[in-house]
Amino acid sequence: MNNYIENPKHCESIEDELIELSLGILGGRRRSEVLAHVGSCGRCSAELQRLSIVADALLQLAPEIEPPLGFELRLAERLQKNRTLHRSRHHRWVVGALSAAALLAVVLGIGLATLGASRGHNEKTWSTTANLTSTAAGSGGPVLGKVFVSAGHPGWMVISVDRGAWSGEVTCEVMLVGGKVEIVGRFKLTDGYGTWGAPLTSSADEVRGARLVAPDGTVVATAHLS
Amino acid sequence: MRGRSDSDDDGVSDEALLSGIVVGDDRAGLAFVRRYQHRTFGLAMGIVGDAGKAEEVAQEAFIRIFRHAAVFDPRRGSVAAWALTITRNLAIDAIRVRRDVPTDPGDRVFVELIGRDRLPDDVVLATDGVDRARIALAELPVEQRRAVVLAALYGRTVREIASAESIPLGTAKSRIRLGMAKLRQAVVVAEST
Repeated sequence: MNNYIENPKHCESIEDELIELSLGILGGRRRSEVLAHVGSCGRCSAELQRLSIVADALLQLAPEIEPPLGFELRLAERLQKNRTLHRSRHHRWVVGALSAAALLAVVLGIGLATLGASRGHNEKTWSTTANLTSTAAGSGGPVLGKVFVSAGHPGWMVISVDRGAWSGEVTCEVMLVGGKVEIVGRFKLTDGYGTWGAPLTSSADEVRGARLVAPDGTVVATAHLS
Repeated sequence: MRGRSDSDDDGVSDEALLSGIVVGDDRAGLAFVRRYQHRTFGLAMGIVGDAGKAEEVAQEAFIRIFRHAAVFDPRRGSVAAWALTITRNLAIDAIRVRRDVPTDPGDRVFVELIGRDRLPDDVVLATDGVDRARIALAELPVEQRRAVVLAALYGRTVREIASAESIPLGTAKSRIRLGMAKLRQAVVVAEST
């Protein structure tokens, strides 16, 4: 509103509302009016900028809280849905990066393409899911993440670890029917986080469990798959 | 406390991570989520007061951040402020849409913020605006502190604050005004000197 320009009296009269605007609590018509004034008044624009610095700093004082277990995984699933809805190229990579589920979808896609799978293929992305539990205090320890085993030939295994304190390389082994153990690959955990996937050389329905083994041979975590 | 600054222990700035998200660098996206998930979830939890709802809010916030990463404008504020503003607005929308009772200002998060006293080392450690804001907030009279936190973090309007605190509208306004004036002095003036 041009009639507000260079009008110190008016500027003083909206000081409270400038504060509310900076805090994001000014609504309705007054918000539009104050914004219109700010757009044409250097003094109020500068003041709003200063107040916004304070408001931004205050927001960053909110305490940090550990999200529930599996947060990253569920986020990846939502991002994947979102990608499908928006058909955005920008989100394609996120799916493969954030979690095992997403990674599984990507690798399955590659695998199916390689095998020349038909279009109408069942879109189910895994056949078995199990918790990966710590073995630090014997069996039945805390849950560290999840293991997914996809159906199909070859099957795929994806592991997502999102809790724990261990850093370093681990070997992933699968336990098969008849007690046979097969090394699937190695991956790195950083401060208890890591996501990794690889094809199985055996059929997925032969897999009975998985475990992560540290370089010194210690079993860090196990999962039992039915 | 996890990294609150613009670059974390890995030395990569928030802006660089956002740029990575835009061009499709998967490690950047993962690093960004891991850098911010505790903060977005913590803020959402403080506002909606329920872990399930807070997760919904935090996840939606990440989806929007990723979707709009290309249009982030560093001249309008930090990545942290941008990300947390998105989270805060979604959380406030969530409780309003569901007509939920906003988080009781007696909840754990609020009490932690309000009850945070200044530590002797704080002044020495105050290297950025956020640290200065923390110290200045701790020095405000408690009624001003409550009013400012209710507005800035919980998105309560002046009318809602007046009602929650059982005070006249004008008193709520003046508490926010006085508190913000002191914070501005501490954060902005100190920054420019």
